[in-house]
Amino acid sequence: MKRTIFNNQLLPWLLLAPQLAITFIFFIWPAGQAIRQSFLREDAFGINTSFAGLNNFQGLLGNAQYLNSMKVTVIFAVSVTVLSMGVALLLAVAVDRMLRSSRVYTTLLVWPYAVAPAVAGILWWFIFNPTVGIMPYILDVIGYDWNHNRSKTDAMILVVIASAWKQISYNFLFFVAGLQAIPASLREAAAIDGAGPVRRFFDITFPLLSPTTFFLLVVNIVYAMFETFAVIDSTTAGGPAQATNIMVYKVYFDGFIGQNLGSSAAQSVILMLIVIALTVIQFRWVEKKVEY
Amino acid sequence: MASITLDNLGKVYPGGTRAVGDVNIDIADGEFIVLVGPSGCGKSTLLRMVAGLESISEGEVRIGDRVVNDVEPADRDIAMVFQNYALYPHMSVRQNLAYGLKNRGTPKAEIERRVKEAAEILQIGPFLDRKPRALSGGQRQRVAMGRAITREPAVFLFDEPLSNLDAKLRVAMRLEIKELQKRLRTTSIYVTHDQLEAMTLADRLVVLNGGRIEQIGTPLDVYRRPASTFVASFIGSPAMNLLDAKAVPHLPGTAHAGTIGIRPEDLSLAEDGLIEMNVMAVEELGAQRLVHGRTSGEAITIALPSDAPLGDTLKLGFDRKNLHLFSRDSGARID
Amino acid sequence: MIENRPGLTFLAHLVLIAGVLIVALPVWVAFVASTRGATDFMSGTIPMWPGPHLIENYSRMLDTGLSTSGTPPVGLMMFNSLVMALSIAIGKIAISMLSAFAIVYFRFPFRGLAFWCIFITLMLPVEVRIVPSFQVVAGLGLLNSYAGLSLPLIASATATFLFRQVFLTIPDELTEAARIDGAGPMKFFRDILLPLSRTNMAALFVILFIYGWNQYLWPLLITTDAQYYTIVAGIKRMADVVDGLPQWHLVMATAILAMLPPVAVVIGMQRLFVKGLVETEK
Repeated sequence: MKRTIFNNQLLPWLLLAPQLAITFIFFIWPAGQAIRQSFLREDAFGINTSFAGLNNFQGLLGNAQYLNSMKVTVIFAVSVTVLSMGVALLLAVAVDRMLRSSRVYTTLLVWPYAVAPAVAGILWWFIFNPTVGIMPYILDVIGYDWNHNRSKTDAMILVVIASAWKQISYNFLFFVAGLQAIPASLREAAAIDGAGPVRRFFDITFPLLSPTTFFLLVVNIVYAMFETFAVIDSTTAGGPAQATNIMVYKVYFDGFIGQNLGSSAAQSVILMLIVIALTVIQFRWVEKKVEY
Repeated sequence: MASITLDNLGKVYPGGTRAVGDVNIDIADGEFIVLVGPSGCGKSTLLRMVAGLESISEGEVRIGDRVVNDVEPADRDIAMVFQNYALYPHMSVRQNLAYGLKNRGTPKAEIERRVKEAAEILQIGPFLDRKPRALSGGQRQRVAMGRAITREPAVFLFDEPLSNLDAKLRVAMRLEIKELQKRLRTTSIYVTHDQLEAMTLADRLVVLNGGRIEQIGTPLDVYRRPASTFVASFIGSPAMNLLDAKAVPHLPGTAHAGTIGIRPEDLSLAEDGLIEMNVMAVEELGAQRLVHGRTSGEAITIALPSDAPLGDTLKLGFDRKNLHLFSRDSGARID
Repeated sequence: MIENRPGLTFLAHLVLIAGVLIVALPVWVAFVASTRGATDFMSGTIPMWPGPHLIENYSRMLDTGLSTSGTPPVGLMMFNSLVMALSIAIGKIAISMLSAFAIVYFRFPFRGLAFWCIFITLMLPVEVRIVPSFQVVAGLGLLNSYAGLSLPLIASATATFLFRQVFLTIPDELTEAARIDGAGPMKFFRDILLPLSRTNMAALFVILFIYGWNQYLWPLLITTDAQYYTIVAGIKRMADVVDGLPQWHLVMATAILAMLPPVAVVIGMQRLFVKGLVETEK
């Protein structure tokens, strides 16, 4: 809170006007519409609408495809989070040992942040392309027949790798910052107490890193659930046989391609609830961080 | 140049907490007034009410003949020096000095003249094109004063301007401020919690406690005739000894007083002294030594020449006219 | 590093070099592909070293593009992306600074409500309100326009919070000094707040430029006229070939061009980038 303020009454509203106008027109109004539509039934031509109560939601929860989509989303989000955070932590711990070369390594590791998810998808799609990609070529040597157009597992692996690859740089930067924030004296004290490097990592470094880890956990789940739309769309488009049809992709597909507005709106509402829950968790964490 | 009148001034915060009440001060044109008191006594709030940075909930502030209660700070013809200097970090010293004048539409030539003049007075000419962060604490302090001077205001307001400086610099700047004010004859209100600073700078002191005025007077007045036990203990270093009248029952003519005060420097060693003191600690200050101890269970301090003899017990004498008597109930002075 | 263990340091270098290679692998492969000719992909063995067609492929894509896919020249798509990224970055910074200024430096009725309205945008990413957002933009006649590409993405709770944080750390005394110096609110904003937030603005700009450039879903939804395709959304259209194989060398040249500007920004302004990243997550 500021001690000194200006006494104008109209001016603050003028200052807020652009932000509030855009927020209302493009955020709150459409969100309201989604909620409204989620309770309505619309016929195929969009002529008649009637109140449907919770029918759209019940329909979803009884729909095998939607339940499958939820399952796929969980597997996908957990895999992306674990893979990208694991690799990033390994790299961050390695960089933390470096003195002079850490800047060079950092530069060489952070740039994928800037690559668009859609482009990341295209790149890995090319590498894993069954006809010309180099990975199937290599896998063929060890006797694995890769084809993400047919194999559900292959398709999932492809989208997980493409999504995780892009996120490594982000996690890496935050892990490095987290590691640097741990006072060297703590690790020195542990070293004097006779703990070797591995022990020190598990007894001192990793526990003290837990705020960063928790924060990244939330961020990565949000990323995997909502920002990977482009990765999916540019690689597998949800296939084969729904194997990579994550919830965000399904909203788009059912709403735009399938024109099933009521169901799509109900899916939107469910996703909103998930974002709200994740945001609340994230902000709780931020509050805790302030206390430190 | 202007006189300032604070008329029944009071400040009550929205929550109902009272910060300041019943403040009446008449400040003469050209006078240097120091508001002094412990932290939380309302001195800064009072200053900020004069500046217009804090709204006034009771009474009036007049600068010259004008009631300024609802006048914007910029239009009160004042300038203020802040504790943390509040220099604009992205502007050069020159721009810092000129900013207020520029906003007022002062002609360029005039701005230049005033900046040059202030720079000369404060010897900051060589730094005019530097940014504040490239200056030392003392230099920043000067720039902050320079910003006030260029405005050529009717009133200077100082909000603990020296408390961010180290002790040595503080003494030097104190002198400079005093000289500067003498030379410019600008009415000044100066807030500090440091009683030494208050004593050395003020034409008149205003001692505040709990949002109310305890005493107004020249430094010597306040020192010689503190109006209450609070003032007695706050002004003067080392602080005045305040003894429960019952603890020293042999003193004649003190029966009606609750508390007896005597300054450490007014006590002396005497064979037939009325006060017997058990020595507990000695502080050597070079020119003198402070001896701390107890008499009849009460803490007492005496300032002795550094070659005075010491013992486990000392007999202390004093001149009757140096005694200060205070009421038991209110702590007010009794004459 | 506490004790000197050359073995561990060696291992760390090894891990890092492997990491750098894995991270770079897809881009290297794409780059190699983009320098090859169309026939190089027929044989089934993938080249690992650049070929001689670099300039030919790139200049062809920039000037004429891949007309069979219905996409315009890549040069035009990059221009569209640039317009979109700049509008989003500048727009977000501008309106967020103004809102933060209003929220921090004024007391007015419903201030809390205004704050919550802005906060709520955090919980409504475009992905969860796709259809109604499309309908709103269509209703406003903003399909196939630069305004439609950027305006709906300009509201930002994150940027508003960031500037709020920045303004809160600016000492009160500075505001008071400015008031005594006769600066009104807008003058204070322009003369004091704006210059003092310059590095924060730059750091945020880096992040928002990347954010804007990399938008995919939104441009995909609202552009049907090829003149407004952005490169990130357009590249998918190139790769989608109904019959036959994609023209890999050309698609990969486009992919490289699509990542070049944001990657250049991250590497060139690494310090601002890291600052921006850390600050926006506070």
